[in-house]
Amino acid sequence: MTLAHYLFLGSALFIVGIFGALTRRNVIGILMSVELMFNAANINLAAFNRFLAPAGVTGQAVALFIMTVAAAEVVVGLALVLMIYRARDTVYAEDINILRG
Amino acid sequence: MVNLALLRPEFVLSALALALLAADLLTPPGRGRALDWGALASCAATLALVIAGLACAGGHLGLGTLWAVDPFSQFLKIVILGSAILSLLLNLDYEGIPVRHAGSFSGLLLLCTVGMMFLVSAVDLLLLFVSLELVSLSSFVLTGYERASPKSNEGALKYFIFGAFAAAVMAFGISLFYGEARTTLLLSLGSPLGPLGLLGLLFILIGFGFKAAMVPMHFWVPDAYEGAPTPVTAFLSVAPKVAALGALARLLTALVPTRAADLTLLLSILCVLTMTVGNFVALFQRNVKRLLAYSSIAQAGYIMIGIVTADAMGTQGVLLYSFVYVAMNIGAFAMAIALAEDRRRYAAGDPYDLSAFDGLAGRSLPAALAMAFFLLSLAGIPPLAGFIGKFYLIGSAVGTRHYWLAVAAVVNSVVSVYYYMSIAYRMFFVARQREAPRRLSMGVSLYGSAALALAAVLALGVLPDRLVAWVQASAKFLP
Repeated sequence: MTLAHYLFLGSALFIVGIFGALTRRNVIGILMSVELMFNAANINLAAFNRFLAPAGVTGQAVALFIMTVAAAEVVVGLALVLMIYRARDTVYAEDINILRG
Repeated sequence: MVNLALLRPEFVLSALALALLAADLLTPPGRGRALDWGALASCAATLALVIAGLACAGGHLGLGTLWAVDPFSQFLKIVILGSAILSLLLNLDYEGIPVRHAGSFSGLLLLCTVGMMFLVSAVDLLLLFVSLELVSLSSFVLTGYERASPKSNEGALKYFIFGAFAAAVMAFGISLFYGEARTTLLLSLGSPLGPLGLLGLLFILIGFGFKAAMVPMHFWVPDAYEGAPTPVTAFLSVAPKVAALGALARLLTALVPTRAADLTLLLSILCVLTMTVGNFVALFQRNVKRLLAYSSIAQAGYIMIGIVTADAMGTQGVLLYSFVYVAMNIGAFAMAIALAEDRRRYAAGDPYDLSAFDGLAGRSLPAALAMAFFLLSLAGIPPLAGFIGKFYLIGSAVGTRHYWLAVAAVVNSVVSVYYYMSIAYRMFFVARQREAPRRLSMGVSLYGSAALALAAVLALGVLPDRLVAWVQASAKFLP
């Protein structure tokens, strides 16, 4: 396994995540796609740390912070989705459209 | 060096914010609004700490491991705390916040403020990312705080989806940047960045662009601003913008200068787009919150001129305009809240419709005059504060030979006069609506907040010397 393998995996995950976030109609699906993008960043960070700067731990530390932040992000996001679902019985992005103009 | 002592104001404010959140649980239901005063006092105490740090020469400046506390960040921290105080004042007279857990509302607003204070000091991508997320997460919750209002829910969800996406792209950008530079600390970059680092920097810019509402990343702005409780709109339209643009100015002026990565062309295109789209879409708005949302997009475009030119005058322009922008925009929102709270009492329908301004001069001349001053200042008409700020920004564009930026800014200012003055026209030359009471009743703290903002706009417009001297002393980056 070389650095290139890991970077390929990271970029593929990132692109899958972007594609999902832009095309999903379900808000939960968008949230999952965004998580994929965060994980792509984590894979990159860990791989760069291991192959390019093995003496330090900066990459791993940043990855840990990103995991924490992503978890917090999901908590807030799910709370908002739940609030909308209770009020309107839908989690589909195209139904959430009273604000426009 | 760790130098944690430099961050004393941030620590104090975070402790107070967490204490407020805890106090909210212990307050009897229905009494939560009393904690608003606690939040105001916490902000004032922190502001006093920052100013005390300024007063003792050199004592509170320095570099830490991930942060730099320099005159630049001190100035922006004062501006951010000032806008938090003004928005908390607006909140005192705002009825929309649910009474249950009103204390956690102000706690979250303080946490958002702490995030911005860290953001303007950050010199490491890790701190930059974490503080930007602290700001984002608390603003998502604040936007959706009016749980009973479907608009508030929807605005928060849209804001969240864009925000999460931008944060993920930024995280990926940080990973690429780390791969190129082998470190996330931005202080030791001398050599030009390679393609990987440049790509990373572009992705990081997307994260900033989202927070500062630059044009291709601005779609959330009108919806989130219209949906959010109005004091939150006032806060979000100034503080995170000023903080993100300040951090971006530090990033692109001092940490990654043009010799390491030349983004001037890209940034100037974004800058012109931001000004133009904001102003032209604002022309067609009927709701005052949406109008001010688009106008605030355009205002961020003006501030970006100083980031593109990246010279001393540009940096001073960024600081000066940030200060002025906070005063005039929060002032305009104070008037919008006063009129909407008044209109709720006599008319159905959207309380923020522009027709609420009809005949304001007859109903309350001081309110109409104050609003007119805020609008004139936003449009950049001479003796007022907004003009001084624009003068610096456009001056730096001309000085660094970015003539088309200067031309775009001037043309945009002229366009913006139209929609700002259409509100003034309604206030002075349209008869009041028949159901509207003869006198406008306005809460005391709204008065206070608007008066503070008006004092800033007028004083800076007529006697700008003190502020300009302070700004010139502050436009210094530490490393």
